[in-house]
Order: sequence, then C-alpha cells, then structure tokens
Amino acid sequence: MKEISGYYDKEASLLEAVKNLRENKIKIKDVFSPYPVHGLDHAMGLKRSWLPRAAFIGGAVGAISGFGFQVWVFTRAYPINIGGKPFLAAPSFIPVTFECAILFAAFAIVIAYLFRSHLGAGADNKIYDERATNDRFVVVLDTAEIESNETEKIKSKFEETGAMNVKFEE
Amino acid sequence: MKFIWILKFGTCNFKIIVSLKYKNVSEISTREPLIQGNKSLKDITDDVFNPIVAKPGKLWFLGLMIAGSAALIGIIAIVLTIWKGIGLWGVNKTVGWGWSITNFVWWVGIGHAGTFISAILLLFRQKWRTSINRSAEAMTIFAVICAGLFPLIHMGRFLLGFFIFPYPNTRDVWVNFNSPLLWDVFAITTYFLVSLIFWYVGLIPDLGTVRDKMKTKFKKTIYKFLSFGWTGSAKHWQRFEIVSFTLAGLAAPLVLSVHTIVSFDFATSVIPGWHTTIFPPYFVSGAIFSGFAMVLTLLIIARKTMNLQDYITINHIELMNKIIILTGSVVGVAYMTELFMAWYSGVEYELFAFINRATGPYWWAYWIMMTCNVISPQLFWFKKLRRSIGFTFFMSILINIGMWFERFVIIVTSLHRDYLPSSWEMYKPTLIEVAIFVGTLGIFFTLFLLFVRFFPVIAMAEVKTTIKNK
Amino acid sequence: MENLNTTFQFSKKAKIVLSILIFIGLVALAYGIFKYSPEKVWSALVLNSINFLTIGLGATFFLAIHIITQAGWHVSIQRIPEAISMYIPIGGIFMLVMLFGINHVYHWIHEVHHDPIITNKEAYLNVPFFVIRLIIYLSVWTALTLVLRKLSKKSDIQDGLNFYNKGRTYAALFLVFFALTIVTFAWDWFMSIEAHWFSTLFGWYVLSGVIVKSFAVIIIVLAILKYMGYMDFITKDNIHDLARYLFSFGIFWMYLWFSQFMLIWYANIPEETFYFIHRLEDYKVLFFLNLALNFLIPFLVLVVRKFRRVLWIVAAMAVVVFIGQWVDQYLMIFPGTMKEVPNIGFFDIGLTIGFFGIFLWVVLQSLTKADLLPKNHPYLKESFNYENI
Repeated sequence: MKEISGYYDKEASLLEAVKNLRENKIKIKDVFSPYPVHGLDHAMGLKRSWLPRAAFIGGAVGAISGFGFQVWVFTRAYPINIGGKPFLAAPSFIPVTFECAILFAAFAIVIAYLFRSHLGAGADNKIYDERATNDRFVVVLDTAEIESNETEKIKSKFEETGAMNVKFEE
Repeated sequence: MKFIWILKFGTCNFKIIVSLKYKNVSEISTREPLIQGNKSLKDITDDVFNPIVAKPGKLWFLGLMIAGSAALIGIIAIVLTIWKGIGLWGVNKTVGWGWSITNFVWWVGIGHAGTFISAILLLFRQKWRTSINRSAEAMTIFAVICAGLFPLIHMGRFLLGFFIFPYPNTRDVWVNFNSPLLWDVFAITTYFLVSLIFWYVGLIPDLGTVRDKMKTKFKKTIYKFLSFGWTGSAKHWQRFEIVSFTLAGLAAPLVLSVHTIVSFDFATSVIPGWHTTIFPPYFVSGAIFSGFAMVLTLLIIARKTMNLQDYITINHIELMNKIIILTGSVVGVAYMTELFMAWYSGVEYELFAFINRATGPYWWAYWIMMTCNVISPQLFWFKKLRRSIGFTFFMSILINIGMWFERFVIIVTSLHRDYLPSSWEMYKPTLIEVAIFVGTLGIFFTLFLLFVRFFPVIAMAEVKTTIKNK
Repeated sequence: MENLNTTFQFSKKAKIVLSILIFIGLVALAYGIFKYSPEKVWSALVLNSINFLTIGLGATFFLAIHIITQAGWHVSIQRIPEAISMYIPIGGIFMLVMLFGINHVYHWIHEVHHDPIITNKEAYLNVPFFVIRLIIYLSVWTALTLVLRKLSKKSDIQDGLNFYNKGRTYAALFLVFFALTIVTFAWDWFMSIEAHWFSTLFGWYVLSGVIVKSFAVIIIVLAILKYMGYMDFITKDNIHDLARYLFSFGIFWMYLWFSQFMLIWYANIPEETFYFIHRLEDYKVLFFLNLALNFLIPFLVLVVRKFRRVLWIVAAMAVVVFIGQWVDQYLMIFPGTMKEVPNIGFFDIGLTIGFFGIFLWVVLQSLTKADLLPKNHPYLKESFNYENI
C-alpha cells in the first residue's frame, strides 16, 4: 500500500491543495493539522459526525433510568414516609434525574468519540510527521486509488500549491 | 465626552467629573488580536511546551514545599478527626454545620469558574477563553476534589461513607432520594466526572503535541500513553469540535445545577435565612464570582512566572473583571432582595435573622462579607482599576475572603439562633478545623503546581485557531 | 451589499390586516365590559399591557447586552429588536391607563386597613408610592431606549464607530437600571396581587420570562418580515443563534420556575404553599400547559440541530413560547384577582390579538424609519461571516 503525502506550512496553501485535489477527483486519505482548520471539512467533503445523537440517547437513557430507579425505590422497594411527602415525590426526584441524564450523555458521547476515532490508552496510530501537531499540515493520498503513471502529476500538483515536501512511501 | 455634575449639600458643593475616553476610530474598526506578540504556530507550541521540558525554577519548588506542608498538616488533621471523632471540632447540637460545610460550598463555588469558562464561554463563541480555559478547568477539578473531602469527613462514621451511594444491600435499604444531601452526592459526582472528561478530551490534542516534541524516551512514552494516540486527522478534529460543543452544551446546565443543588441543602429547610427561593441563582452567581477571583489569583501568578503575558493579556484580565462586576452585582442585588423580603414578608423570624446577621454576635463576619462582596466588585467599573494587575490580584484575594464569609454567615448565623431561644448557641472553630481548611488550600495548590509542571497550561490547539499568522 | 433590499415599506395590505386585528381587540374589549366583571376586564388589560411593554423592554435588553459584550453576529437582525423597543413609550401609556383600574386588580389597595399582614407592608404597598415607582420606571426605560435608538439611527448617516461607542455607556446604564427595576416592577405589578405571598426569586423569574418572550417575539417579527419578502440577507447561522437563545433561555426559565416551585413545595410552609395549591387545584390544566409550552415542546424540538436552522420551525416554537409566557402571566394574575375560576374565551384571546395588532403596527412603523441594516456598524460583516458548530 503506497502512500503519497504532501507537507504544507501555511493553512491557505493547504486549503487550496485540498480543493485542487478534490476538483481533480483524487481521493484524499486524510489530512493532518495542529488545530481544527476552518473550512477544511467543507473542502474535504466530510460528512457531519453523528456523535451528538449518542449524547441524546445517553441523556434519554440516563433520565429515564434515573427517574425510574427512584420511583421504584420509593414506591415498590422500600417506601418510607419522608416529611409527609408522597412516595412518588416527582419534584424531589428531578435533581437526580437531571444529573443522571447529563452523566450518561457525557459518557456516551465521549466513549463513542474515543472508539470511533481509535483513541485510547494503548492506541498506536501512525504519525506522518511529528510537526503535524505543531506547525505543519499533511495531506495523505492512498495510492491504491491512483495509477502509477499519475504519481508525477500528483507530485507537481502538490508543488504548485505550495507544498514544502512530497513523500512517497511503501 | 465629559459629564459634569454639581451636587449641593447645604454649603458644600461637590463637583463630579466623569470623563469617558474613546479609542481612536482606526483602533477598533476590526477586533483587536487576542494574543500579543504576533505569534506563529511554532511560537505557541514552544511557549507552552518549554515550561514542561525545562527545569522548574526556585519559585516552583518553594511553592510546592509550602503547599505540600500545608497539605500534610491538613491530612494529619483529617486523620485525627477520623480517629478521634467529630468531637475534635467545634460543632454542637445547635450549630451542626460550621467550617466544614462553609469550606465545602466555598470550594465547589470556586470550581464553577472553570466550567463557566470552558463551557458557557464556548457556547457564546468568546475566543478569548482559549488562553485560560485549560488552567481554569484544571482548577475546577482540583477544587471539586477539595470540596468532596468535606462531606466525607464530616460524617462521623467515615468508614461507612459508601452508604451515600445507592447499592443493593442485605438490609434492603436504599438512599433517601428526597434529601438534598443525596442530590449533592449525584451532583458533585457528576460534576467531577464530567469536568474531568471535558478537560481531558480537550487535553488530548495538546498531549499529542507534547508527545511529538518530547525528546526523552521515557517522557515520550508517558505522553504517548496519555495522548491516546492522537494524530491530528481532520476527521478527528471535526469530531473533537462537535464533542467539545456538545459537552459544553451539557456542562453549562450542569454547572448551574450543581451549585443549585448545593443551595438546596439550605433552601429546602424551614429555617429563616435559609429557606428562600432566590438561593439557586444567587448561589450560582456567587460561585462564578468567587471562581473567577480564584482564576485571576492563579493566572496572575502563572503568567508572570511562566512568561505567558502574551497569551494571558491585560485584555483577558479586564474581561474577567467585567464578569466579576456582573456576578458580584447579582450577588449584591440578591442581598438587597433578601433584606427587602425579610421586611415585606412580615415574618418576624426572617426579619430577626437578618437583623441578627448585621448586629448580632457575628456582625463582624457579616460586614466583612458586605464590604468584600458588594463594594469591592463595584470598583471595577473604573477602567484604570480593571486594567491594573496589582489591584486585580489584591481584589481577587479579597473577593474569595468575602465569599468564604458569605457561606459562614449564611450557615452559622441562621443555625445559631433560629426559632427556639433556649437552644441558641455560639460556634467557634477548633484548631483542627482550621488545619483541615489550610490543608485543602495546600492540596489545591500542590495539585495546581504539579499541573503546570507536567501539562500544557494553555490550550495550544484552540489558541492556534484564533491567530492570524498561520 | 449594494443590491440588498434594506428599505422597509409598511404596505397598505399590512395596515389592513393589522386594523382587523385591532378591531377584533376592540370588539373583545366591548364584549368583556358588557359581559364580565371589572376584575376580569381590568386583569386582562393589565396582563396585555404588561405583556407587550415587557416584550419591548426585553428587546432593549437584547440590544444593550449585545452592545456591551461587543457581539457581532446580531447586527444583521439588529433593526428588529430596535423597532420592537420603540413600543415602550406606547406600552408606557397603556400602563398609565391601567392606573385607573388598579382598584379592581390589586386588592391590597382596599384591604390595607383591615388586613394586618398587608398593613405591615403599607410603607411599600401604598398607591402614591406605587404610582411614583411606575413613573420612574417608565421615564428612565423610555429615555434610555430612545437614546440607544437615536444613536443607532445616527450611525447610519455618520461615522458608525463613534455612535457605537457612545451606545456602550447608555447600554450599561440601561442594563443596571433595568435589572434592578424589572425586579421591583414584578413585585409591584405581579407579586402584590397575592399580597400575602412572597418569594425572593420572583423578580428574577419574571425577568427570565421577559427575556425568553422577547427572543420569541424577535423571531416572530423576523418570520413575518421574511414572509413579507424582506431580510433576504440573513444567514442560517443567524437563525441558528436566535434558536439557541430561545432554547437555552427556555431551559433557564424552567430552571427558575422549578427552583421556586420545588423549594416552596418541599418546605411545605402553609403561608407559602397556598399560592401553588390554589393554582394546582383550580387552574390545573393551565398550570401544566405552562410547563409544556414554555419548556417541554420547545426543548424537544429545538434540541435537534437541523431544526434550529430552519426559520419556520424556530418561528413555530417562538409562537409556542409566546403563548406559554402568556399563560404564565395569566397564572400570575388571574388566580389572585378573580374569586371564581374564569374561563378563557373570545374575550381573553381577542383582547390579546388586539394588543398584538397595536404592537405590530408600532414595530412595522418603526422599521420604516431606518434601514433594515445598520450599514456603518463596525461588526456588520461579521454577522454574515461566521459559522456555528
């Protein structure tokens, strides 16, 4: 699996390069940057993440289970008369319900995020350039999608959009 | 533009001149740069990375020693309390909550500024928060740790502390969901965990940066582990922004709910001075007020010692002072409202509670609170004072003292003289209680000093999104 | 920016529609005067007078907050809250007219002599002081609102930055004065209806309702303008931000409602709980409708990001919130003024429609007085060029 990667040091050049490559129907494997580049998602045609749905589902589950659990405890498991309040004391149950909703929602989205992005305590993801987290931008193309005679064309395309360096990898 | 008023009091004339100066047209036609010094991406990485890899200065070691010693004193006091019992404290049947719960509320309140900066300012698209949110969030976590100690150790039967969590047991007994003290358990636990993961999710990209810049193999492995394999991929960044925004949307109501639930500890009671509906937003406002003061205390020191003045600029400090005016004024208005309602309600106990606060045996605490909380934030209306680092630092300490006294006044004055005069009592803290408080200060500063030593104190990636030079 | 349509014309068709609304209101009023007790008529008049006055105040509040925080996103819609705030003088006149009917609504006026609880409050609850307070509120609110409007209009003709900066001082003054006086206004005109009751949170709770109601009306006016063919230049992100305000302040209102209710319910002290018991027993449907309209429905719909960017959905939720806040105010007034539980019918709804007609007339008239875009505003470009996550 060969990879071609172009290295940039200016955000503007990066965006131009990505637009250029997409216009020429060259498939981009990934782009690395030290910060979220404004406009890069559009340029790359990335679809919006569905992660907030995980948060909503987590929140709904948390709210229902939190409230349901309290109702069960106070009406079925061990009903106790606390200060004359009814067993199903809805106003009392709201704070814990709310906290459970937030807790489950937050954990749901973060766990989904980490799993989906292959981030974790022992994760070993490939680093293309140690300066990609500092001040460089990297565009990586997967050459399984590219003919061998086009590699020169791609190299020149990188260079004309201001790449500092182009690398070919096996 | 000049306003001149002349006030006549009898034979005295006062001339008040208010001169408002506006900046030159060309200066504010576009927004001022947030970060000074025309930094490049590399500059930002270097400025924040260097304190991690460089040998810490003498001040850091000195600070760590002092904070560590204080922490040790506190831990000894806590161990003694657990060993010998709550009798070592000054609490009695009438005043069952003294310094312990005052400190608890004080610490939780301080924690709120971090979440406010991280979450609420993110939702309001306030880019200036990027210089301060990392340290503010760390401060929140450490403050909540200190806060969480108090409910645990004030219980008496410390080893049965796990009773507060609902777990199936052979006695078939569950926790009391009708009690605000239990709501606190859920609130503080949730707040701690959500703050922690919010802080850490934001840290991951910066830990990746630190990992990639680190040359020492041992340290590199540690940061490699901590950075969770971050690569900087565009898809990951997209998710990162969406997750940050969603967490901010969750953390914003959370931060309101936590101090609200803490206020419910008092407001759900029937005691005059405690049972009043204004407590929830008033407590939240007070929390943000004291939290920002603590952020200022920490960052004014940090920016000087770590050379981060270009990132935490005088403009950042001024903006934080403006938030202090807002929240401090809200607290002041709440005081006025309570006083008015005490009269308007016609409830003689409520009226007495407030007269007792101002003129009873704890009058000194009340007036410290009023001076520090009502008068001092109003001084920040003056631009010169808002932009004075020395004055801001002095005020930040004063505000935290004032907010400590506010909780003390609320708790102790309402407890020590409520409905039945025959049970009126005085409360005085013992040395052990004072030592525990000093200990939590030690724990807090120790943790913060360790944080600035080993972690990037400024959110590099977020700051990089705000500069023009890239 | 050159070929944007930024001049608003108050068309004949619009005037006819609004005249019909006002006519409905007058018919409803006449109907009410003949059929119902003075308590009911004056209570409804007070409700509507306060409702629309506070919507105007909330609009000035919106402007003031965005000026002092140096916000830029709102500039494209800024003229809408400005026009809404121009209702304040008219709303003020209505409030002064209400003074003629306060005997029917504020029972403390005639009960002060034989009810010891109310006699105790006489230093605050007496008619002269009540009237003076109203006059002070109205004068300062009107003056500061007019100044802000004048500065904004001047900025169109002359240097935008200078007037923007001057506006900041007046905005700060307005915010401080408003924050203090809306609380006391709420005590005077809402809380004193139930003169035996008190709640320290009440003022802020009413303030949160004012804020969310104003955001709702800004959105409704925007939707009306869009329907009439104007405001083409606003972006989806502008709509998104307005929706976020509606969403988050709806939650904030719910939070304050719950805090007030739960604390009184929990402590179970009779001198406080009678307020809610009365509402729960005799006004049960409205009581829960209040929560559904103000929180449940807007929350469940606007939590979906896609919907926050579609104007007609956001406007629909704004209408729901507007009705919800009307119900909230109804519950603050009528249970205290009426001895028997009244029905809501043609009179109540017709009267509100009439007031809405007058309100919208003033708003549309004000929109003709200046361009729909503050062309010299220093942050104008920003309001078109930002993206929401």
